[in-house]
Amino acid sequence: MSTLHVLSHSPFSDTRLGSCLRILGTDDALLLCGDAVYALQPHSSILKTLEAKSDTLKLFVLEEDLLARNLECLPWATCVDYPRFVELSIHYDKVNSWL
Amino acid sequence: MKFAIALYSAAHSPSSRRALRFAEAALASGHEIVRLFFYQDGVHNASSNVVTPQDEQDLTQQWAAFVSHHQLDGVVCIAAALRRGVLNEDEAARYQRPAVNLKAPWELSGLGQLHDAIQSADRLICFGGP
Repeated sequence: MSTLHVLSHSPFSDTRLGSCLRILGTDDALLLCGDAVYALQPHSSILKTLEAKSDTLKLFVLEEDLLARNLECLPWATCVDYPRFVELSIHYDKVNSWL
Repeated sequence: MKFAIALYSAAHSPSSRRALRFAEAALASGHEIVRLFFYQDGVHNASSNVVTPQDEQDLTQQWAAFVSHHQLDGVVCIAAALRRGVLNEDEAARYQRPAVNLKAPWELSGLGQLHDAIQSADRLICFGGP
């Protein structure tokens, strides 16, 4: 059963992202929104962690939160708007928000 | 596709805005929202006493308008609401409080309504945190 994991906390303030990456299944995907998009901060250790998983990680990023923080999407990640967010929540069997 | 949407954060939190934009996009795409459930600090979204500065998004007003316009089931957890001072007329009278700040389209009810919504929906989407 596939799960879309949704993170909104900054990866620089807690360990949610690390925990999430550890339990992420092969069919699962990760959607970063809110302060979680800071994971794409250039030259950061968090970004290096994500880059190291770029072959297998299905990574989505909420576009408006990325734009609001003047960050750029990664070439191997997918920027999404709200209609696409809705589609993702249907494509995956469950949505797990890391509240 | 049937959605149940739960919101755990107050209107001043960005996640409240995300929940609303998601809900709008879901309906715009032809999907159904079986219930919106406001839990924990999410009950503040239903308060009619929230005053938002004029140059900011008034999320409490936007939520109320959205729920009214689409005639959605907007349920506010009664236990979470009471402890945060979000009261409808009945509860204000019951606990002898001087103010009422929960009105239509919102309804106070129990956590069972969230469970019930999850049973009848294809997807539960929770919004909370920052």
